[in-house]
Amino acid sequence: MAEISFPLPDLGEGLIDATILEWLVAPGDQVERNQPMVEVETTKSALELPSPQAGRVVRTYGEPGQSIKVGEPLIIFSVPDDSAGIVGTVPMEEAPRRRVRLTARPDED
Amino acid sequence: MSEQMMSMQQALNRALADTLRNDPTALILGEDVGTLGGVFRVTQGLAKEFGAERVFDTPLAESGILGLSVGLAMAGFHPIPEVQFDGFAYPAVNQIITQLGRMNYRSRGVFPMPVTLRVPSFGGIRAPEHHGESLEALFAHVPGLKVVSPADPQQAYSLLRYAAGLSDPVIFMEPKARYWQKAAVDMDTTQSPLGARIARPGKHVTLVAWGAMVARCLQVAELAAEDGIIVEVVDLRWLKPIDEATLTESVTRTRRAVVVHEGPRTAGLGAEVAALISEHCFDTLKAPVERVTGFDVPYPSGDLEDEYIPNIDRILFGIQRVLEHRRG
Repeated sequence: MAEISFPLPDLGEGLIDATILEWLVAPGDQVERNQPMVEVETTKSALELPSPQAGRVVRTYGEPGQSIKVGEPLIIFSVPDDSAGIVGTVPMEEAPRRRVRLTARPDED
Repeated sequence: MSEQMMSMQQALNRALADTLRNDPTALILGEDVGTLGGVFRVTQGLAKEFGAERVFDTPLAESGILGLSVGLAMAGFHPIPEVQFDGFAYPAVNQIITQLGRMNYRSRGVFPMPVTLRVPSFGGIRAPEHHGESLEALFAHVPGLKVVSPADPQQAYSLLRYAAGLSDPVIFMEPKARYWQKAAVDMDTTQSPLGARIARPGKHVTLVAWGAMVARCLQVAELAAEDGIIVEVVDLRWLKPIDEATLTESVTRTRRAVVVHEGPRTAGLGAEVAALISEHCFDTLKAPVERVTGFDVPYPSGDLEDEYIPNIDRILFGIQRVLEHRRG
């Protein structure tokens, strides 16, 4: 397993920090990419940040009411070593699912 | 026989290592291929084993990567450049078409271009724009290039070893959606790396596919068998030149064909495959060749790609259409 740290991004044009309103995930949670992760408030607006990737949450930074500076750690994920490198996600191997049945019969002439 | 279970990443890594070991003129270059080992870890450990003079990072400039490769090839080296993602090949298209593809022709054989360009290709990994494109039709249209795509770890190892031994430029399209699945690889296989291969023999209809669509077509073949339809799957492998003999032999037996690819439909490689089958099998075909493809839109963001890439149901519908067709 490898740990990946995600810092607070610049949420506007030149904002320098954001205040944690509520964490929607907790250490130990398995999260999917784009899953709502945390609600924060900046001097411009309150907004919900989606998870940048899939993984298990190792640690979150900041309690509700606390301020975090842009570029400082926000959350740490644990991911399998064989997960996708920098871009994308490893496709899940699922049992094939179908809705279409073949009703036509080949004419054997 | 020396079979080992490995992923396509590992099979490609092994093929590159074996190439570097056997060919002292072979070089690997590209963005992050050295220290990092590539974003998909395909070149992992190679810089350490073979040295930074043979496996090296380049600036973020695909045109430069290919221009450098053309020059190195003229100087007697055998470059194996990587373009990190399909969509990043576009900035290098000028070098690929105007230099790489025709230097051998232009120089009357004085400067052959033994360049194997690796391109992680196609969609399926929920990546952003420029990370899910299918460039086979574009490159197959360029005189002087060969184009190939492996469907599984065995093909990846065999085809990369073979491509890297050619004196012609090869565009090597790696299906990134299939990088992680493991399968047995025989490093000493006697199976020919040339032409197409019948991935599953069948009887009623031939599915023609390449890259990641081969695995999906094999799933479809399993499902169709439940309905009594015995599907043959042809893994085309070489997209230029296309193995017309294997295609013709298969469709002459099954008398129906469906070609499946991720790229847009209009002027996609499926059109070429359909034309070849029509030319060679016109009198035996029971239905027009069906195409199940991506759509004529820019490749969508990851959240929508399942709607874009041919899925099991769309392929089954394609089979249904060729089975239902009756001559008027």
